[in-house]
Amino acid sequence: MRDIAVVLALVAIAIAISLRYRLALEKDLVVASVRAILQLTAVAIVVTFVFARPAFSAAFIGVMLAVAAYTSGRRLRGVPHAGLIAGGAIAAGAAATLTVLFGGRVLGLEPQFVIPIAGMAIGNSMATVSIAGVRVREEISDKILEVEARLALGVPARDALEPHVRRAVSVSLIPIIDTTKTVGLVTLPGAFTGMLIGGASPADAARVQLIVLFMLMGSIAIAGMTTALLVTRAFVADGERIVVPAAS
Amino acid sequence: MGSSVEPCRIDIEELDLDRGGRPVLRDVTVTFNPGIVTAIVGPSGAGKTSLLRCVNRLERPDRGRVLVDGTDARQLPPTELRRRVGMIFQTPVLFEGGVRANLSYGMNHIDDVALEQALEAASLSSSFLTRESSALSVGQAQRVCIARALVRSPQALLLDEPTSALDKDASARIEALISSLGGRGLTIVLVTHNLEQAKRVAEEAVLLAGGRVVATGSPAEIEDAWPEEAG
Repeated sequence: MRDIAVVLALVAIAIAISLRYRLALEKDLVVASVRAILQLTAVAIVVTFVFARPAFSAAFIGVMLAVAAYTSGRRLRGVPHAGLIAGGAIAAGAAATLTVLFGGRVLGLEPQFVIPIAGMAIGNSMATVSIAGVRVREEISDKILEVEARLALGVPARDALEPHVRRAVSVSLIPIIDTTKTVGLVTLPGAFTGMLIGGASPADAARVQLIVLFMLMGSIAIAGMTTALLVTRAFVADGERIVVPAAS
Repeated sequence: MGSSVEPCRIDIEELDLDRGGRPVLRDVTVTFNPGIVTAIVGPSGAGKTSLLRCVNRLERPDRGRVLVDGTDARQLPPTELRRRVGMIFQTPVLFEGGVRANLSYGMNHIDDVALEQALEAASLSSSFLTRESSALSVGQAQRVCIARALVRSPQALLLDEPTSALDKDASARIEALISSLGGRGLTIVLVTHNLEQAKRVAEEAVLLAGGRVVATGSPAEIEDAWPEEAG
């Protein structure tokens, strides 16, 4: 506990700066810190429980998926079946990840591997699903004149939307692609750093970091592209028409 | 532009359209005869654009039907209907790339001769084929949009206030172009809030007000029914 208290000194410094320059960030900093402590403590208790009872792993992953789908679904408000679209896309990214990692025996099928890996895949996919879904909706809303000009030429609705969907998906995947491209050059990533701090060799740390990076890039790309496909489908109405729901 | 294409007749029967629970079109029955220019005129908010969008199936009416040469438009694949009945919007919309890319957009096999014929039909020289879209004036862009529709050899062309974004000279050129397209045997439906423009280019006219057909006839004949408050 002492080490956490020491690191909290950094938060205290940030609060002091906020007070000194009247940035009004101190409340957010305190709330964020308290929430992080409470949430991670609660998770530690639950994970300890699940590690001792592997049969609960699936239920635990189901809860993570439901919360992620609800959170992303709210971002896509106005899109028909937003929660289902978000849940489907996040599940697609996470399922692909878990199947490859555990089906390919990269990691052992044990709760201490399954739970964190599923959590990373679901959490990162959730963020991308929200961004991709919102970007697709905004891009199509902003460019509806261009889309309808294509429709009026007899172009099918999916083809008329394609340039805009492609643009939206690329933008939402830029962060993970850039992170992967520059890994080790710009920053030392979390798993690598954590393993070095924990005493692992740099070679082992690099191996695990590559597994994590490829896993994240794969799951995020699958989730983002699935989101774009599903949101686009939700915009195409019968008769090759486009119906863009208003964001509320 | 294929010269062998016959213009089509468009019949609209008892069309109703609601949007957000508000009536936009009510019991609209009207015919656009083949090979002539028909103007849909009326004040702002009369439902003129919505009527065009229903013909092109960009909107789905709540009641009634649209017939193209006697065939219910719902029986036609929307992509085919839209190639047969082209639509030009109020603001010219050009896609990324040059004029050639715009004209041939979505078409697999089209030679330069066909593209040049379409440009010529839209009163543009063949030199425009190599121009960048971003280098065009609004009036030129609108004529490229018309050429882009003509490349697909439509039987009819729906024009939604095509001169509203243009200055006087560019408007006059588009009006002359519309008249010439009518003279070439295309069915032209022109939406305009400007009765004088309808008189200059259209042979028949439909006056819409409050989503209903108020009068039909020649543009001069419907002048008496023009609502005073519309100016």
